[in-house]
Amino acid sequence: MTTISFVPVALTRRQAALVEAAAARIFPTTDTPGATEAGVVNYVDRALAEAYPGLLSLYRSGCRALAGESKRRYGVDFLKATPDQQDDLLTAFEAGRVDGFPKAKEFFGTLRDHTMEGVLGEPAYGGNRDLVGWRIVGFPGHQYGYEEAYINKVVDLEPKAVDRPYPTKEAWNA
Amino acid sequence: MPNNPKAVDVVIVGIGAVGGIMAKQLASAGLEVVGLERGPMAEFEDYASKDTIRSITRRNFDERVRHEPISVRQREGAPSAKRFTSTPVNAVGGGLAIWTGSATRFMPDDFRVDSNEMQAGVADKARADLTGYEIRDWPISYDDLEPYYERFEWEMGVSGDAEANPFAGPRKKGYPLPPLRQGARNELFGDACARLGYHAHPTPNGILSEAYQPPAPYDTRIQERPACVYCGQCNNYGCHVQAKLSSAWTSVPVAFETGNFDLRTNSKVFRIETGPDGRATGVSYFDPDGNVVEQRAKVVIVASYIYEASRLLLLSGKGKRGLANSSGQVGRRITAHGDVRYTGIFDDYIVNGFIGPNSGMRMDDFNGNNFDHAGVGFIRGGTIGTSGGGTPLERYDAIPPGWPRWGEAYKEYLAKYYTRQADVTSHPETLPHRENYIDLDPRFKDEWGIPLPRTTFAFHQNEHKMWAFLGEIEQQILREAGASEVWGFPTNRASRWAGGTVMGDDASDSVVNGYCQSHDVDNLFVVGASVFPTMTGYAATPTVCALAYRTSEYILGASGLF
Repeated sequence: MTTISFVPVALTRRQAALVEAAAARIFPTTDTPGATEAGVVNYVDRALAEAYPGLLSLYRSGCRALAGESKRRYGVDFLKATPDQQDDLLTAFEAGRVDGFPKAKEFFGTLRDHTMEGVLGEPAYGGNRDLVGWRIVGFPGHQYGYEEAYINKVVDLEPKAVDRPYPTKEAWNA
Repeated sequence: MPNNPKAVDVVIVGIGAVGGIMAKQLASAGLEVVGLERGPMAEFEDYASKDTIRSITRRNFDERVRHEPISVRQREGAPSAKRFTSTPVNAVGGGLAIWTGSATRFMPDDFRVDSNEMQAGVADKARADLTGYEIRDWPISYDDLEPYYERFEWEMGVSGDAEANPFAGPRKKGYPLPPLRQGARNELFGDACARLGYHAHPTPNGILSEAYQPPAPYDTRIQERPACVYCGQCNNYGCHVQAKLSSAWTSVPVAFETGNFDLRTNSKVFRIETGPDGRATGVSYFDPDGNVVEQRAKVVIVASYIYEASRLLLLSGKGKRGLANSSGQVGRRITAHGDVRYTGIFDDYIVNGFIGPNSGMRMDDFNGNNFDHAGVGFIRGGTIGTSGGGTPLERYDAIPPGWPRWGEAYKEYLAKYYTRQADVTSHPETLPHRENYIDLDPRFKDEWGIPLPRTTFAFHQNEHKMWAFLGEIEQQILREAGASEVWGFPTNRASRWAGGTVMGDDASDSVVNGYCQSHDVDNLFVVGASVFPTMTGYAATPTVCALAYRTSEYILGASGLF
């Protein structure tokens, strides 16, 4: 069972745990880190507090529906469902096939987008911890530039994120 | 009016690509120029942000965008919806703050679609159904603009190969700089086109391939800027080395240096004022504190994006029709590209699409009137080229149809193919159609209480046939390049708008003449893509900049204005 290791500001701890568990199925931990290690729930919570407050009610009702549907189908809480059961539930949400929750598809789509933002966005927004998302896909982050074109060649540069205040070239490359 | 600053020679509404150049040209000639820009100064740190959440995911959350919504609907009678659009950037530099850099001149035939396609029989041969379209020639030709294209390219710095595109118009001088370095997706595109017999070439680009300062006889006051470093973040981002041209670091600093240019930011013009004789006397605007200020001027130049150009004329004047609208053409004849984009993935080739430039190569074999239209069912065409932002937040949805969009298999897909994909996109020319126009929204207002510009716009039959045709070519190129899967679609989204205050020789049927001067109000000029009688398969920037130079010269030589 998931325990949330930070104090959420927009979500309740219960909602945060559900979001984290669902995100972990959307971008799972395999032999490489996934949504959990990237800190997606941290990203989502901050995004809801700062940028997307209008989506908070969708998360609230979505979390309720996720838990309710798990209980109804499997007799267990979503957090205790097996990964396969969780996948089946999320598949039903993705297809919009959840009785009594017409926003299932919208909730899933939003959660998926936010999960990917949390995996692949800048760590300054709370996700992509240690640049795990960028490392997995092979994006070297915000390099000052590329001295060669890397045609048909892996870019073997250490990924970088750039924080404000905006750095000089020297500071960037330091 | 709470205050009434003294009359000046020229007031310019909007300090973007056009406003910057005109401010520089007119202030340098000794005219006193006031620039009113509804947005702030382009803060370097904001635009060169290297922040994909901010620049991509949340771009429409930007405060500058939130201030200036438009409204949209697809047809007359349908309810409009409010929309936030980041195209007119609402800051000094305008769209140039975040543009892609693609800087191709229009082709000579782009200026005479009526003569070529309609009168000379191309449309008949194509068996195109052009019901509803309103096609007219430009009152000016490529040759009229050629010297001004040259000035734009040499003052602002454009990188390109003048010999590489057989469809380009004649030019007196080449580009000041060689093409940008080509990345892998451009190598894929270029080689595939060569094998298919198409004429791929490096996109002429408003991004410096080498450090550059304009030489004489061009404006040597423009500061030197460094070469591109190929960071890959062009479209939707500012340029952190200032290699990509923007008014903010070319024309505007020179205008300031003259001592004749007074730039007022966060100043929202809402009306062009007129006198009893019908001539323009200046403009009224909200200053940053919300006070109404009238700025009197001998000449008024509207240098806004097309939404604002039409809106401002419709909001002004005495009658219901607005100002400079005896023809009834204000707001009419708007066009926009409906891009068609295909993506390919490569099993054995690493593309690294996050390395710049975004707009690397293109070909014009199916643009304009460059190919045989016999039986194709449409006229005109579009440029086809490499494109697409390359950061992960721009690419995580680039998934072949039928593949999982989440879960373990999706993660494996991203891990393998994020670096192995390339887009090919066309900019299909949309012809003006009588059902497409801008007017004032009767319901939605902005935060100053001014009606929003409402676009009534849909793509019609000529576009739909063209999209299918261009899409086939795009897929052919990607397959030839070796893509293992190719997918895509017409985006059905309008971008790169033009029209609304179109130019023409006939005052009963156009808003401005070939010098962007109102037929009705001789001291009012409207300069920008809003004057294009037809759009082309290219982006507008070089042409609007050429018009800005040409109109500035005309204003300085005209009698009776000052």
